[in-house]
Amino acid sequence: MIFRKDFKKISDWLWEIPKSFRQDMRVPARVYVSEKMLEDIFRDRSLDQLINLTCLPGIQKYGLAMPDMHEGYSSPIGGVAAIRISDGIISPGMQGYDVNCGMKLLRSDYLEKDIKPNLENLATEIQKEVPSGLGRGRQIKLSIEQINKILEGGAKRLVEQGYGEKEDVENCEGNGRLDWADTSAVSSYAKNRGRDQVGTLGSGNHFLEVQKVEEIFDAKIAEVFGLFRDQVVIMIHTGSRGLGHQVATDYIKEFMGLMGKYKIQVPDREFACVPYDSPEGQRGLAASACAANYAWANRQMITHFIRKAWKSVFGEKASQLVALYDVAHNIIKKEKYIIDGKETGVAVHRKGATRAFPPGHPEIPEKYRSVGQPVLIPGSMGTASYVLVGTKKGEEAFYSTCHGAGRTMSRHEAMRRVSGQEVVKSLESKGIIVKCWSQRGIAEEAPMAYKNIDEVVEVVHNAGLSKKVARLVPLAVIKGE
Amino acid sequence: MKYEILEHKADLKIRAFGKDKSELFENAMIGMFESAKYEPAFAEATAGKEIKKEIKVSSLDLPSLLVDFLSEVLYLSEINHEIYHQIQFRKLTNKNIEGNLFGEKLKTIEVIIKGVTYHSLDIHQKKDKSWEATILFDI
Repeated sequence: MIFRKDFKKISDWLWEIPKSFRQDMRVPARVYVSEKMLEDIFRDRSLDQLINLTCLPGIQKYGLAMPDMHEGYSSPIGGVAAIRISDGIISPGMQGYDVNCGMKLLRSDYLEKDIKPNLENLATEIQKEVPSGLGRGRQIKLSIEQINKILEGGAKRLVEQGYGEKEDVENCEGNGRLDWADTSAVSSYAKNRGRDQVGTLGSGNHFLEVQKVEEIFDAKIAEVFGLFRDQVVIMIHTGSRGLGHQVATDYIKEFMGLMGKYKIQVPDREFACVPYDSPEGQRGLAASACAANYAWANRQMITHFIRKAWKSVFGEKASQLVALYDVAHNIIKKEKYIIDGKETGVAVHRKGATRAFPPGHPEIPEKYRSVGQPVLIPGSMGTASYVLVGTKKGEEAFYSTCHGAGRTMSRHEAMRRVSGQEVVKSLESKGIIVKCWSQRGIAEEAPMAYKNIDEVVEVVHNAGLSKKVARLVPLAVIKGE
Repeated sequence: MKYEILEHKADLKIRAFGKDKSELFENAMIGMFESAKYEPAFAEATAGKEIKKEIKVSSLDLPSLLVDFLSEVLYLSEINHEIYHQIQFRKLTNKNIEGNLFGEKLKTIEVIIKGVTYHSLDIHQKKDKSWEATILFDI
């Protein structure tokens, strides 16, 4: 058991459990929360899971948790581990089954009042164009050869084929393509699952939202991002679908059988890992890059479908939908940091945490480089979302920040307390249009089942991990199923 | 009781029961589909067309076998748009499964299961010789 007394207060927004807390910890655990939120996190097993994360071989400085942290499997959701490449491990179980689950934001030149009369129609068209992938909607089956091209080329491949603009890949993490992807590392099982799911939304907390910019916090940066008050934007939340789930399943199974060979011990089997710098580790990394590329292609194809819907409602001469940014929140990335005075290569494992690079970082688009990377944070269904910007101070957290509101109530309990119909009604009473094929599954995503997004963002803002740029509120929500 | 749903903040956790190992595996599969609300296309569409799929799994040990079996079932379900309610084993050891799955065409899914995890995984035989397993699914 972990108690309040086990924590050392570093600042109002940062708390530490020292390495001495448990014998197998390799580094201290650090949690970014307010004092009020600290009380909440004792209510599930997320702190035990964070302590387990600090035991991973090669972990540097701290095991970190973001303020939206909650119980997951292996790492808590909101967990970050930077693992030294030279002598550390790679853990697909820490990355999770939804490889490169992430966010994309499209901005228009329209104000809310420009689209208000057509909003219902727009939501209906978007719902029609973007299939959930659960048997409803468009059925396109790609060949394995076409899938290989997507795994190699990511979003870039689709843009080359005419499903997007050059700017879509420029304004995307990794330009929508990790070049260490190797399709021979991906099983035929995974490829098969990917054949009919490019451009599909999925289920659970995945969604599309038509939103408006309600508040601007930093006018200068908002201008660089192309954001202004009352502007209409569209947010996309989904990942690598069945292909990514299978890549994770395959490598967790394979690595489980190799732990003995490499004499690696971890406190939870789900962390199944091998040395990063081993043939198996490199194959796992190459496969996970394929899944990440698939996810970027998936969000790109959804963008294409949304633009189609947009044009069918507003006409060919309608305002463009420009990709502002696209960023992952479940991913393993190679990055470099100065650790103990030495430049050190690390594999940053982010599980429910968003990369937030500072101004001047070479890996962010040139047009944003003077201000920092845009960070996209979705709220729970029907509540606010945020655009933040990366900061230099974020280095202390390996340039990571929160990824959403974070659950605070189980799906089961949410369903006991509220019906899908009640949730939809309450959103509609706020003037928000809701499009879903069925109301089952809606109750589980009720705002009451999540932490308050404003409080979560306040923590990362005050801790300096990323700064508030704009607050977005929903006009229409489109769910997969 | 075939299975029960346990509390978990974000994911789906179930406990499955069986008088023997084969019933446990079957009930874990049924519990997985039912609790994530994978629903079959009943009646007219599939009447008289029973679906049968061959399944073969090998693993490190019994807990891994349970995870790998359920992962294989999810793969077959997604690829073929099917749901299964029964398995006939030709072979079931602590490391290997061979048998046939029986089921129907899949109609809808409420929540897609992304993965069968090893986190807090448990499978054991009880004093009364019956079997019990706890499994956490990423949803």
